[in-house]
Amino acid sequence: MTFKAWIKTVTFYELIVGMKATMSHLLHYKPITLQYPHEKRTLPDNYRGMLSLLRYDDGTEKCVGCDLCEAACPSRVIRVVSAEVPGEPTKRYAKEYYMDMTRCLFCGLCVDACPVDALGMTREYEWSVYDKRQLHLNKEQLLAIGDRSFPVREKQLELQHPNVAFFNVAFKHLPQKPD
Amino acid sequence: MTELSLRLAVSFVQILAEVSIVMLTVAIMTLAERKVLGWMQDRMGPMEVGPYGILQPLADGVKLFFKEDIVPAGANKAMFALAPMLTMVVSLIGFAVIPFGPNVTLDINGLLIKPFVIADINIGILYILAIASIGAYGIILGGWSSNSKYSLLGGLRSAAQVISYELNVGLAIVGVLLLSGSLSLVEITEAQAGGFWHWFIWGARPDGFFPIHTQVFAFVVFLISGVAETNRIPFDLPEAESELVAGFFTEYSGMKFAFFVSAEYASMVLVSCVAASLFLGGWNAPYPGTIFEYIGLEELAWIEHIMWFAGKVYFFLFVFIWLRATLPRLRYDQLMRFGWKVLLPIALANIIITAITVYFFPRG
Repeated sequence: MTFKAWIKTVTFYELIVGMKATMSHLLHYKPITLQYPHEKRTLPDNYRGMLSLLRYDDGTEKCVGCDLCEAACPSRVIRVVSAEVPGEPTKRYAKEYYMDMTRCLFCGLCVDACPVDALGMTREYEWSVYDKRQLHLNKEQLLAIGDRSFPVREKQLELQHPNVAFFNVAFKHLPQKPD
Repeated sequence: MTELSLRLAVSFVQILAEVSIVMLTVAIMTLAERKVLGWMQDRMGPMEVGPYGILQPLADGVKLFFKEDIVPAGANKAMFALAPMLTMVVSLIGFAVIPFGPNVTLDINGLLIKPFVIADINIGILYILAIASIGAYGIILGGWSSNSKYSLLGGLRSAAQVISYELNVGLAIVGVLLLSGSLSLVEITEAQAGGFWHWFIWGARPDGFFPIHTQVFAFVVFLISGVAETNRIPFDLPEAESELVAGFFTEYSGMKFAFFVSAEYASMVLVSCVAASLFLGGWNAPYPGTIFEYIGLEELAWIEHIMWFAGKVYFFLFVFIWLRATLPRLRYDQLMRFGWKVLLPIALANIIITAITVYFFPRG
């Protein structure tokens, strides 16, 4: 131990440096925390909050019951019961759609997997409840969340044949269907 | 008969006043600790109850009062209930010998009363040392009777820690006793009257200014050992959160838990009072006399004395919080090594040096 280190030890030099740091924070007090229920942070643009099901602007559900979200989900949150649209044999829809939000980790893989953009992530995050069963959501509840979070709805594409489920909305560069 | 009952009544009033002042300080400390700790860590501390959270101690008290009182299965019920009481009582009765204000004597119908000290006994500081050691029994009993390994480990750690550091407290005090020639806290405080250079931390002789009898090393040893004795960070091994859940009071809830916590704060206040009385001149102002005396209000001088005493005590309490905000917890072997191999030799050397200087340069 050098003499300098010995002096530092017996005078509690490191300790004094630390106490000076805390004291300077006390004197230049500027809290970085927010009083949460009264003040809320601005969320980032790509915030991934509560999941929801979306509709087209005419009120029809976007979901075509393809089960890809169920396959993509790593936590097995989603359960889809697919069925034919009555009277339209080529068109399918989700007869029942359940999400067990107690297990969801908000990764967004289901949203990425959806071929018709029927799932959306809202900016809601205050979903604490007293009963866990309230987080087991059905299709109506998910549609209601989508309705209140996304008031501006996407138009149903005109080129789509009324009897055929339309996939790949973004692939406009591909040959379009004739009239 | 009437004299005895009058004396009892006066003592009872004094005790009531003292306990309420201490408990008020404890309540203030529970809030102040959280606020100051928050400010030092760039947080706000409690803000919800009342303006800026100043009613938080009240809310805490009400909450703890209405909490369920759980006794764990297999616990020794009598000991489990006794432990918090013992800790609380012990940390409160230590205040009996602390002089809060000047050593004046009132004469009420031939009855001599010292209003600012409950019991001016001639072994004051020994009494405090003895009482503070009994406090460890409360902790050990609480740890043992809970029938939980975390509690037991916390109690054992507390026993080892208190034994190691009690010794240093006792040895650090010896220097002060050599200078004052008395064990009574009242006389120790009076020996430091007349300016800060007469405080034992500076240690000038009664007619001089040069710090020939300085007790600054004893002061540092006493302060560190005091922090260790009250189980505060960085010596909070008996209740180490990250290792032992909550240490010896893991199994306690409700008012019993509140007793343990307020006993910890009360013993902090006690250590601060003792440190102020022994080393920083107690109720003496850092200048000779008092301002009230100079402006001709001698009968109000006691207010200034009490303000100085409170100021010193609150300074020490702030240092407790400050240390908590800064330092991490020591490892167990570091704690033992620091106590036995660093503080003990310093305290012993301080005794020898003080004895030599007092022998060759006697204090009048």
